[in-house]
Amino acid sequence: MSFLEYRIKTAPTGLRKVLYVNWALVLLLTAVAAIGWLMLYSVAGGNIETWAEPQMKRYAGGIVVMMIIAFVPIWFWRNMSAIAYGVALLLLVAVEFFGHVGMGAQRWINLGFIMLQPSELMKIALVMFLAAYYDWLDIRKTSHPLWVLIPVIAILIPTALVLVQPDLGTAILLLAGGAVVMFCAGVSWIYFAVVIAAGGGLVATVLASRGTSWQLLHDYQFRRIDTFLDPTADPLGAGYNIIQAQIALGSGGWTGKGFMQGTQSRLNFLPEKHTDFIFTTLAEEFGFIGGISLLILYAAIIAFCVISALQNKDRFSSLLILGVAANFFFYFAVNMAMVMGLAPVVGVPLPLVSYGGSAMLVLLAAFGLVQSAHVHRLR
Amino acid sequence: MIRTPLRPLARILSARAKGENPDAIERENLRLRHEAMRDKARTRAELRLLLLGLAFFMAYGVIGARMGLLAASEPMEPRAAASGAQILSQRADIADRNGRILATNMLTHSLYAHPRDMVDPARVARELAAIFPDMDAAALERRFTDGRSFMWIRKVLSPEQMQKVHEIGDPGLLFGPREMRVYPNGDLAAHVLGGASFGAEGVHSAEVIGTAGIEKALDARLRDPAQAGEPLMLSIDMTIQAAVEEILGAGMQMMNAKGAAAILMDSRTGEILSLASLPDFDPNDRPNPLVKGDPGDSPLFNRAVQGVYELGSTFKIFATAQAMELGLVNADTMVDANAPMQWGKHRIKEFQNKNYGPLLSVTDVIVKSSNVGTARLALQIGGLRQQAFLKSLGFFDPTPLELVEAPGAKPLLPPKWPEIVTITTSYGHGMSASPMHLAAAYATIANGGIAVKPTLLKRDTPAEGVRVLSEPVARASVDMLRQVVTRGTASMAEVEGYAVAGKTGTADKPKRTGGYYKDKVINTFAAMFPADDPRYVLIVTLDEPVNTMGTEPRRTAGWTAVPVAAEIIRRSAPLLGLRPVIELGPPDGITAVRN
Repeated sequence: MSFLEYRIKTAPTGLRKVLYVNWALVLLLTAVAAIGWLMLYSVAGGNIETWAEPQMKRYAGGIVVMMIIAFVPIWFWRNMSAIAYGVALLLLVAVEFFGHVGMGAQRWINLGFIMLQPSELMKIALVMFLAAYYDWLDIRKTSHPLWVLIPVIAILIPTALVLVQPDLGTAILLLAGGAVVMFCAGVSWIYFAVVIAAGGGLVATVLASRGTSWQLLHDYQFRRIDTFLDPTADPLGAGYNIIQAQIALGSGGWTGKGFMQGTQSRLNFLPEKHTDFIFTTLAEEFGFIGGISLLILYAAIIAFCVISALQNKDRFSSLLILGVAANFFFYFAVNMAMVMGLAPVVGVPLPLVSYGGSAMLVLLAAFGLVQSAHVHRLR
Repeated sequence: MIRTPLRPLARILSARAKGENPDAIERENLRLRHEAMRDKARTRAELRLLLLGLAFFMAYGVIGARMGLLAASEPMEPRAAASGAQILSQRADIADRNGRILATNMLTHSLYAHPRDMVDPARVARELAAIFPDMDAAALERRFTDGRSFMWIRKVLSPEQMQKVHEIGDPGLLFGPREMRVYPNGDLAAHVLGGASFGAEGVHSAEVIGTAGIEKALDARLRDPAQAGEPLMLSIDMTIQAAVEEILGAGMQMMNAKGAAAILMDSRTGEILSLASLPDFDPNDRPNPLVKGDPGDSPLFNRAVQGVYELGSTFKIFATAQAMELGLVNADTMVDANAPMQWGKHRIKEFQNKNYGPLLSVTDVIVKSSNVGTARLALQIGGLRQQAFLKSLGFFDPTPLELVEAPGAKPLLPPKWPEIVTITTSYGHGMSASPMHLAAAYATIANGGIAVKPTLLKRDTPAEGVRVLSEPVARASVDMLRQVVTRGTASMAEVEGYAVAGKTGTADKPKRTGGYYKDKVINTFAAMFPADDPRYVLIVTLDEPVNTMGTEPRRTAGWTAVPVAAEIIRRSAPLLGLRPVIELGPPDGITAVRN
């Protein structure tokens, strides 16, 4: 092994790392964020100071954080995984006692300089922990029931803590993100089949119990399900958001009304127009083409992550990248499905586009890990 | 699964034979096995990724398809909420006799809240308090956050207020259509109309129910959906009503009275053209009833209908008319009028202890308003016949007027009817009735003797009534009343162009403790015009008036109620379409010249 060969086969050092950063991914992320700035500018009625400018500053800060994380070798992050998971878990417990109540749920913790949602932090910490776990675990023990139980518990504890906040959306994302890492790690598909079958059976049982003597949910809970299935049944109540969002999408048509021309979202018909429901503004002003473009950008981000994961021979790195990519996917898929009435309304923002600092910072930090894995991969 | 042994004996032996290191074989096999294992894991991982990719791709497909579907859809506002929003019953309008609107409906909105849907209750409370100055932001916020799911904020909103509330833009603030009763003329004819308020209230509509006056009395008719399109036509003439209220108000002020009432009636049909009672109120904003003191002093009190007073000398004409009807006397028969008249232990005196005696013609009994003369006639008639006659004129029952207050205004009758009651009743003391009773009775004299039922509804045909007086007697009575104006106590009632006939009445106000006040009177002037063929009856009543324009305070009707009535006639007669009769004066300006 010559010296030169050694240099090529191992990770770059020092400032050379800049050359090895996945710049295409950074560009894609910035493109999505830029769409977000445009939309926030439009929603604020042509005012940059309301939302767009703080969002830009946060993005810049987030990119710096991402680069710092990217320059730290991935094996350092692997060694930190268990600690990160533990800290995130502690914060989740702490938020129960010291958290700030906002919008009817106790989710925020004040770190002095930033209001943080520990559940956001937990999303990465969980992926890191699971990736490190399967990296450490002998590959032959992957499907052994005992060794399956440990990650299941590691997923269920934070999920339960988030669920009592209550934040159903994030709980579902945690569950799904963890499951994807386990699936990619190669846990026997029989476990997944059993869980899916059990879940399906549970839903079927609950629905079947309606109107019988052993009814499992309250009447009002069933009515919420009805509202999800048919929002027009309660257009001024629970169905309001969904219907207004769908009107916005419908009125956008194929090409949209044009930038700053949206009425549905800018005239205050929509609550949460700058956060969870910002996609409606995009769909109204740029129509189907605008919506599908954003979808393609998101897909490209996922594709770059998957390619990076496949190139990476390190098990921790590839599992981590796939976990982050899956989380990112669930993020926007759930948000878009919710806005379009395909899923019930749960508080999930549109990643990089919705207004909000905590979620974006955490997301960019996660992509920092992806970049670190990309930079420090074995070549 | 057949596992290849890491150290196959045959190969190791042959390797040993060749002098090679057998560990190399083990290493090589181990490497191969690891490679195979890694390849397997790799294939599996790639298969998994493919599956995952497929799932992602399907999710993309579903979202993209949905987006396309929505983009292709026609945007449509939801309609379901509107289904219960129709207003089920429209309350009919109320119009005057010429179709001019006195009461109508206006569509406004009510404001209510679903506090649980509020995004920011504190901000909503703050901004609401800024729109409605009578609201308190802190109290509102407390109520928004105490866990209730519904609360009323405002029953009716003006369009400006509604726009401002819209601009708060909170999904927890909701509007319901609300039909509201509006009286566009304010306090005009307030006592006739009464008022309306909300009954059962829902989010989408509210019942409007009458609370007083004709609104309450004819509530069923006004709410009848079959007749919702046709306004209820009253007999009131808005123009005349406005004139009467204006003059009565000014007259009340001039005569320092604390209350006043006026009724203008068409004597042939019983239609009330104008009914005024002062002080009055604005039915758009009905005041609350008085909690203490005399309810008769409340602006809500309708003096013309609810006020039951001793009507005084205005009653005398009934005694003379009945005496003539019975054939006991005629207009020129001389009657004993020596005052004071002793009856048992009672002394019947004249006003200011005058003595019109020894003899007075029946006409002069009326013209001079002689108590004694009337008493003598009443004694000739007798108590039973007197009661029957007064009953036929309507004095013994509440008036059948279409006001909810009317049935409660029962005349106060003496419990027994000895001869002294016959005497006092004949000149209007000891028995009380409302100005409306008096109007109906005078209408009988004015229209030639047919009993009249007063009404507030427009009538197309003259009412069929019972004949109470023969026409000549009625005619003679009108002539007597005309002379009261030309040479009697009501000389101020002379109106140029319109011959007025009428009778004054001044009654001391009874004390609550019994007895009468010396300086508190009720003055009434009952008039009819034009005297040659009387059609309209006007009653003016002033409560506690004092005419202070002369050197001494005057409290007789001739000085208070009569000039007010004259002014009303002067203003309303042209409005009624009466043609003034120009009486040519004596031709003193012309000198006969003989050439």
